[in-house]
Amino acid sequence: MKFNSDLGWLKKQAALEDNCFVSVGGLVSAVEDLEQKSQQATASRTAFVNLLNLARREHKLTWEQFSQKLDVDLAELIEIENDESYKPTPRTVSKIANFLRVPAEKLFVLSGLARAHDKQFQEAALRFAARSQPVKALSSEEHEALKEYVKFLCER
Amino acid sequence: MKTRVHIIDNATGQPVEAEIFDEITVEHFIETQQNWRPVVLKAARQLASRSSHQLIPQHFHWDWTTKAPELKVLANVFYGISYDNQLQGLMKLETVGQFCTCRLPEQAGKALVYVDYVEVAPWNLKPLASALGEKPRYNAIGTRLIEAAVLKSKEEDCKGRVGLHSLPMTELFYTRACRMTPVGRDPAKQNLLWLEYTAEQAENFLTGAR
Repeated sequence: MKFNSDLGWLKKQAALEDNCFVSVGGLVSAVEDLEQKSQQATASRTAFVNLLNLARREHKLTWEQFSQKLDVDLAELIEIENDESYKPTPRTVSKIANFLRVPAEKLFVLSGLARAHDKQFQEAALRFAARSQPVKALSSEEHEALKEYVKFLCER
Repeated sequence: MKTRVHIIDNATGQPVEAEIFDEITVEHFIETQQNWRPVVLKAARQLASRSSHQLIPQHFHWDWTTKAPELKVLANVFYGISYDNQLQGLMKLETVGQFCTCRLPEQAGKALVYVDYVEVAPWNLKPLASALGEKPRYNAIGTRLIEAAVLKSKEEDCKGRVGLHSLPMTELFYTRACRMTPVGRDPAKQNLLWLEYTAEQAENFLTGAR
């Protein structure tokens, strides 16, 4: 691709572009859609925190050991677990995905960094969030839930 | 593809070297959501509080991250422009699809490259920057992205033919700055204005010929 290198042309174009909006795409969607998206994001986020928690316990790791294993700052892991509004960095989520051996794109959605128009994905996140109880010892049911959900993330 | 192009630094009025590239990843989409969206929303609130409703950006709700699955579609091409370690603009093109056909009578039925989404970082848009009491940082980002669309059209043997649906508030940019031809409102796409380049118009845009 050969772009125009004439600076005179560029300055003229810049003058014409000045004060303009440039965006192309659809018009604003209904407010109800945005509210629904926000609820879905909360369910995904809960599923993400629970997934992290169960995976840590499955490997019998303390948070400190888990942070070393992931090569992620301990403070960031604690933020992820305790602050629902906290957005982890894409790099951190990629490292977690690598550890769990699930596609990073799926974890981006689950962690709230990205969104997906996928009803099945959202429903699976909601079911997983409801089934896991991160404060108790890992029950066989949780073990199964974790196994099933990781399988689901890998398959789709 | 990764190429150096000049854009204009508004602080000095002088060109600076930015980078335009097509290796877009989901991380770039996340960057727009984290860095652009809060600024867009803040500016929108400011404009709403001043009752400047005609200036509220219609793209405030966009979420590029929902487009992540489309990165894998071969017919889609994404371009980004970065400068100062920040994404300054992002565009999605379609080379095959429902809207990839010309409508202007003189080229009706021929293939074109469709500009599906374009967004420029909010700090580069004067109406938004002004709402926040700031000056827009960089200019000609939109020009460079449309230039990339025309060049891609040439690569695809579409001879520079490009089409897009413009939002009402962006029509000025596409008619005045890009000199595209307004063809008509499209009921199939929210009654937005359909604009198109012929091969000759695209060449004129690329070279600056009038």
